[in-house]
Amino acid sequence: MSIDRRKATIFGAAAAVRVLLFTAFPGLPDLLTARVEVSTPVTSFKRLQEGLFLYNHNVSPYDGGVYHQAPILLPLFSLLPSSAAYPAFTYLLYILVDLLSANALMKIAESGEAGSSKLYTSPRKDKKWSSYAIAAAFLFNPFTIATCVGRPTSVFTTCAIILAISKAVIGSSYASMFALSIASYLSMYPILLFPPLALLCYDRRPKSSQSTSIYTSVVQNLLAVGGFIPFLLYMSSLITGSWEFLESTYGVQLLLPDLTPNVGLWWYFFIEMFDSFRSFFLGVFWIHLSSYVFGLTIRVRRQPLIVLTVLLGIFAIFKPYPSISDTSLFLALLPLYRHVFPLMRYSFLASSTILYATLLGPAFYYLWIYAGIWSLGLSLLVADILFAVLRDELEVERPEMKGKEIRQI
Amino acid sequence: MRRLLSLLLSVGFLALFSSATSSDYHEQLLLRPLHPSLLLASFNFQSNTSLASFEQQNFRYFPRSLGQILQHANTRELHLRFSLGRWDAESWGARPWGGAREGGTGVELWAWVEAETDEEADGRWLTLTNALSGLFCASLNFIDSTRTTRPVMSFQPTGDHSNSTLSDLHLLHGTLPREVVCTENLTPFLKLLPCKGKAGISSLLDGHKLFDASWQSMSIDVRPICTPGSDDCQLQITQTIDMVLDIQRSKRPRDNPIPRPIPEEELKCDTSKPYHSGDTCFPLDAASQEEDWSLSQIFGHSLKGTCSLAQDGADPVCVNVPHARHVYASEGALEYKDASGYSRCFKIAPDKDFELVLPQQEISEKTPLEQPLLYAERSFIGYGQEHGGVQAILTNPSPTKAVDFVYMESLPWFMKLYLHTLRAKINGLDEDIIKEMYYRPALDRKRGTQLEVRIVIPANSTVVLTYDFEKAILRYTEYPPDANRGFDIAPAVITIGDVAIRTTSLLLPLPTPDFSMPYNVIILTSTVMALSFGFVFNLLVRRFVAVDEADQWDFRSVRVKLRRF
Repeated sequence: MSIDRRKATIFGAAAAVRVLLFTAFPGLPDLLTARVEVSTPVTSFKRLQEGLFLYNHNVSPYDGGVYHQAPILLPLFSLLPSSAAYPAFTYLLYILVDLLSANALMKIAESGEAGSSKLYTSPRKDKKWSSYAIAAAFLFNPFTIATCVGRPTSVFTTCAIILAISKAVIGSSYASMFALSIASYLSMYPILLFPPLALLCYDRRPKSSQSTSIYTSVVQNLLAVGGFIPFLLYMSSLITGSWEFLESTYGVQLLLPDLTPNVGLWWYFFIEMFDSFRSFFLGVFWIHLSSYVFGLTIRVRRQPLIVLTVLLGIFAIFKPYPSISDTSLFLALLPLYRHVFPLMRYSFLASSTILYATLLGPAFYYLWIYAGIWSLGLSLLVADILFAVLRDELEVERPEMKGKEIRQI
Repeated sequence: MRRLLSLLLSVGFLALFSSATSSDYHEQLLLRPLHPSLLLASFNFQSNTSLASFEQQNFRYFPRSLGQILQHANTRELHLRFSLGRWDAESWGARPWGGAREGGTGVELWAWVEAETDEEADGRWLTLTNALSGLFCASLNFIDSTRTTRPVMSFQPTGDHSNSTLSDLHLLHGTLPREVVCTENLTPFLKLLPCKGKAGISSLLDGHKLFDASWQSMSIDVRPICTPGSDDCQLQITQTIDMVLDIQRSKRPRDNPIPRPIPEEELKCDTSKPYHSGDTCFPLDAASQEEDWSLSQIFGHSLKGTCSLAQDGADPVCVNVPHARHVYASEGALEYKDASGYSRCFKIAPDKDFELVLPQQEISEKTPLEQPLLYAERSFIGYGQEHGGVQAILTNPSPTKAVDFVYMESLPWFMKLYLHTLRAKINGLDEDIIKEMYYRPALDRKRGTQLEVRIVIPANSTVVLTYDFEKAILRYTEYPPDANRGFDIAPAVITIGDVAIRTTSLLLPLPTPDFSMPYNVIILTSTVMALSFGFVFNLLVRRFVAVDEADQWDFRSVRVKLRRF
């Protein structure tokens, strides 16, 4: 078995950068853990430590307002040596998870799903970055590195989502659905990725089951998810001894009782919202978040992967407790669409707004001034990549229009 | 029927018998000068009534208003505290009553309520707090579930309860650190006394003086006491008021209360200093100089006779000064000097005004200070609006004895405690000195954090207890009107045996949102959402055509095309 030397170099370098950050700056992990951009109430490593402490001392961590993360993390982290005494084990785990995500990302890139799906082949599909470049863009993205060093538990969700996609593009639908179930179990919102992911599984189904209809395939996947998630929840209730974790993990995401600042839109809105309208707007925000799923799935039926990418971008802005970890996931999938970058209209504006928000956001936060500019930049980028992809599709339909100005009616 | 009748008769006789003999009332005022130029005045009022007559609504010296509340709320033991200020243990020594009759800043209430279930106990607690709120004109009704705790290791019942009731007793504890104690609380307090502030030592109590004190604490304790081995039980109510008054401040005339600089010729200078001259003055050490004061100077008027209901023979006024100190009492009063050499008491003529005058005197002998069991202080550490920490420094001054105590914190839910950061250092070293711990984490908007830690401090050692917390951000309607003042955090309660001492309360600043313009935030956020929704769905539902074809694709051409079909 030959070892892929380029891959080994990239992965080794990425791991080395992280190890260097962990060892050369021992104060950095705790500094980043305390940053609201990295840690949210539902992913924070410090809250995980608190949950773990309570769990190990036989106090239910869910009977309190601090720990809102999935129960499976408790036995997982109590197996590891204590992160206060031996932080190296925790660091290694997080580095490993990052490398696993990058590996899965490379598989997605190698499948070529971005350029040519089953129903659609882009005329520009040859203009793409290699899977190494895409893995490197993910691993050396400052957001990814900051996330890894800050150790929020959202990296597990990120890894599960990328794994789910990488399993879907090779057509192993049950593995994909299992990964999606884990992601949903950890953070709830990935369940919204089910429709495009099920379509991707169907499009990429193996030769042996070519005859299954789309409906049978989707129903099979639905049953798989419907089996895996209750199974995970039941196991969790066995671990914690009661069902109160449901309210404390998913209830917190749904009802937003914890208004700790983050890079999203919800928290400040619900601080200032009038009491009588709070539940109404919680409903509106969730409907808004899920409204994109079916619209995109139907309109861009021929390219389920771009639906997933765009949805992840939307979630990174509009989900209840977003962090830069969600942004790094979106930015990880974005380079797959190298071939449509020339068609983007606002690429400069969007990227400079993101840069601007990244650099000034902490300063603004420091001065306790709310800046909605972060979300604006990301949403521009999301809309832009969507525009570019649709434009790309159009050129296939009507090849004569290449290079002409277009307009929407 | 006969048995019932005989039972009723015997109960009736018992009640008659006990009410005739054991209802007694006792009051005493203790005055103790403190360094420098302060005076501690401790008022103690105590009355007993037999439990049997209490249950028959025969209250006698027990205040009826309070008694009926206790009966209605099935409360077997009650402790209520109104306090202000800080006791300076380092220069004032041990607390009056060893700390047993003081509360944390603001209002503190704890009671043993008899109920079969926790829910029933909560209901009765609600009844109790609301009724007491009305009785004492205090915001006790704001002691809701977020401010109520059920201490596990701290607080033991001080009364005697039978084993059958003990199993049904629920201890509930609530604090209101923000409450400002003032004259509206003193008036109902005085009304509970048999002499109602008209005669006896309670006639000295005046809101202007009491709430001008450097430190003051009012307490009400109701508990059953039983003689061991018999069924003869009594209900005892103890009301105390302790205050530390600044003698110089109290002596200032009402019509000219502003302190003015002492004229140059009246300055007392240490002339032995080499640099002493006409314009340089080193103040003379006044430690040996005892301040002059009198009752009417300190309290505004002299004592109006005795309360004739207090007939237990105890001397109503005592002063803790060395016997060498000159004390002049008004005519008709009898002085009794204590054998210890530092205390004397006065028997007062029933109908005459009583005045006590202590002149200025040069005296080197001092009343020895009693050393407290434990020095405790607590403060915030860290900076910024996001995180913080709490540090409690607990010192055992005794050179020989170790102190075993329970440290209890009840924190509001918006102070999110990280228990895994709790550290106890003894004399700067990490050592495992936490013997036991009880922790109940907070639930957002439902209940506060409760932390109880049992620690043993060896003799002559200092323990530093630290933990981190995170500040939550509240909804804008949950902030009080003066949001930028901060939030009061209830004092920690340190229980040593059957006395409890408190640290001071803390002021927690929370990050505040923009209160004036909620619409701006709502509009800005809604705009971002509408923009992205518009962007995406605009792309999704509309069709791409070339610019030069666009004209053909207007609505009219579509309609023409449709008509053709």
